[in-house]
Amino acid sequence: MFPPPTKPQDADGSIRLTDNDAALARLSAVQKNYLSDLFIRFLVPRPHLQAPRPPLINIGTFVRTTAIDDLVHQWLSLSSNAGKKCQIVSLGAGSDTRFWRLATGPLKDQISAYMELDFPEVTTKKAMAIKKSKDLSAVLGDPNDIKLAQGGICLHAPKYHLLGTDLRKPMSENLGPLVSETTPLLDPSLPTLILSECVLCYMSVAESSAVLQWFREYFKNSVLGCVVYEMFGLEDAFGRVMVNNLKSRNVTLPGAEYSSDVNVLPKRYLDIGFTTSRALTLREIRRAYVEPEELERISGLEMLDEVEELDLVLQHYAIISSLAVSSQEGLSLWEQWGLRVKERKSEDD
Amino acid sequence: MIPGSDTRYYAACCPMGHGRRLLLAAKHAALLSWEVDLQARTDGHIIELERVHDHQDENSFNDALNSTLFHLQLGLLSCRIYLEMPSDLDRQIQQLTRCETISEEEVKRLCLKAREILIEEGNVHTIDSPVTICGDIHGQFWDLIELFQVGGFCPETNYLFMGDFVDRGYYSVETFLLLLALKVRYPERITLIRGNHESRQITQVYGFYDECQRKYGSSNVWRWCCEVFDYLALGAIVDGRVFCVHGGLSPNLQTIDQIRGIDRKQEVPHDGPMCDLLWSDPDGWSLSPRGAGFLFGADITKIFAHHNALDLIARAHQLAMEGYKLMFDKTIVTVWSAPNYCYRCGNVASILELDEHLGQEYKVFQHAPVDVRSIPAKRPPADYFL
Repeated sequence: MFPPPTKPQDADGSIRLTDNDAALARLSAVQKNYLSDLFIRFLVPRPHLQAPRPPLINIGTFVRTTAIDDLVHQWLSLSSNAGKKCQIVSLGAGSDTRFWRLATGPLKDQISAYMELDFPEVTTKKAMAIKKSKDLSAVLGDPNDIKLAQGGICLHAPKYHLLGTDLRKPMSENLGPLVSETTPLLDPSLPTLILSECVLCYMSVAESSAVLQWFREYFKNSVLGCVVYEMFGLEDAFGRVMVNNLKSRNVTLPGAEYSSDVNVLPKRYLDIGFTTSRALTLREIRRAYVEPEELERISGLEMLDEVEELDLVLQHYAIISSLAVSSQEGLSLWEQWGLRVKERKSEDD
Repeated sequence: MIPGSDTRYYAACCPMGHGRRLLLAAKHAALLSWEVDLQARTDGHIIELERVHDHQDENSFNDALNSTLFHLQLGLLSCRIYLEMPSDLDRQIQQLTRCETISEEEVKRLCLKAREILIEEGNVHTIDSPVTICGDIHGQFWDLIELFQVGGFCPETNYLFMGDFVDRGYYSVETFLLLLALKVRYPERITLIRGNHESRQITQVYGFYDECQRKYGSSNVWRWCCEVFDYLALGAIVDGRVFCVHGGLSPNLQTIDQIRGIDRKQEVPHDGPMCDLLWSDPDGWSLSPRGAGFLFGADITKIFAHHNALDLIARAHQLAMEGYKLMFDKTIVTVWSAPNYCYRCGNVASILELDEHLGQEYKVFQHAPVDVRSIPAKRPPADYFL
């Protein structure tokens, strides 16, 4: 999973390497007590030898994870209120541990299926890590029910499905057959949440829109939620430097929004057919949408040397939560879904 | 004499009674282990009076000085003192200016000499205009060279650096040692005050410690530099009217005199007045989200300026995208001197030139051109959430 940081051969390889950044950031935030996650160390080789990430990265990882966890937990609770189980599809999941955290948490019975999609190179390694680690596989169920498929690029367990694919291919060719077999992996009648953390930005807008449209169509008679987390605002000085710095890592961002205006972000989701869509920057989320007690707790973990820089970086990442509901009564229940202000703070600081 | 080294001669004629003052000035200007030839000329003959080899030892210097003066009192009317300065320090400055490190032994001596100079400076060091005030540098060596190109090199221009020399950038070692070598070479021309990163604890998190380990293979250099940090002044005051500090004010300090009472020779504490001076930000009294220091508002700033008869408070510590930021009816300014901070932020930087009437001119500059020398080949990439 972690090849030496030499210059990768191809652009896809560079994109796959971005998962290392995410996994190491997550591991660091856990080791520094920002987050608790019993499973990440089984997905990072030699976790005890990995150097911690800077406090800014730890804080950003904390804010992002806490906010997305909040949205996911709300999704599970609202499904419960609707008297249904729900499904979660994580696009470009990489070494994410969210399934394991949910499956060992209080809302575990709310999940009927959890599906992770990524490049075959990534899913193969994750499938091996799951097979190798008792801690990971025990959560998936009985060992006899955990099966590798398609030469090890896929893994199926009673609730958990890991699928190796390329999201840029037409969905009718790659995911379509998998989900719509005689016993489909995804039930089109259940409320389903799509998660995508720094994934769509690496695809063209046309490619990612096709993916979202496919899900929108598949769940047209049910409820579809979508949480996208990624960078935006490439047009300003910070954005230009980011584009250049990532270019030197052979990573480009064809799908990232150029505008620095966060209010521009929901438009493409509404255009795809989502009923509502809302975007918040990580800076706004840190200010107002995280429990003040938690903010106070993490402010004591490490000395943060530069607040302006933190705000500058967090201002260039947004969480966009979009909702597609087929019926009016469904809307009244599901429109409660979203991040809520935990404490009002003045905006001028 | 160091064989093969360049030498520089400083010659001065002086009447008898000024000999001591000249020697003291010479001592101050040449604190590294200069060899100093003291000679007196009489009747066309040069008489060698004394040769002092190593001034690291204060007593031996004083002995030599007294014995020289004793000779001078034996009826000589004038003398010519040759200060023979092996260009050790000048060579180190040249080397550091090329972004090349100096030897561990040289660092050790440099740090010792720096401490001797810094210990003489008050908590609030008094300096005269004109002076150019600079904010955070953070190991961005080539951007410091850019700064010198914009503001003029030391000693042609007088400088005040308001701390945060190290951490974050790729060249904290070269950056701090160059500034320190300039301080030792031209103590009256450059003032260094302490930032919150000049601390053992912070440098272990933000890069300076690791860089010392990587470049010298041990933590000695880091340790000696940290000892120097403990001696850095906490602030400076220009012509009694412009107060300069890294972070800002403290709820426990109403006057500059109170700052003079702090025992500063220690690691930066986690709270209290010394911590606040290095950590606080202008923005209404409340706890800072940084985890140390306070936020202070317009009222506090204006009252402090009024009580202490100040025209301006200059501080650094906070990234300013436009290079500087005036606040609270121009009673306080943030000066930021690290362009494209962390090779990520895309900001410009500035320096504040105070002329002899304390007129303010902000000079804005960009980061050094990005090429192989500004960013090392094996660099850690700038961090993003990916």
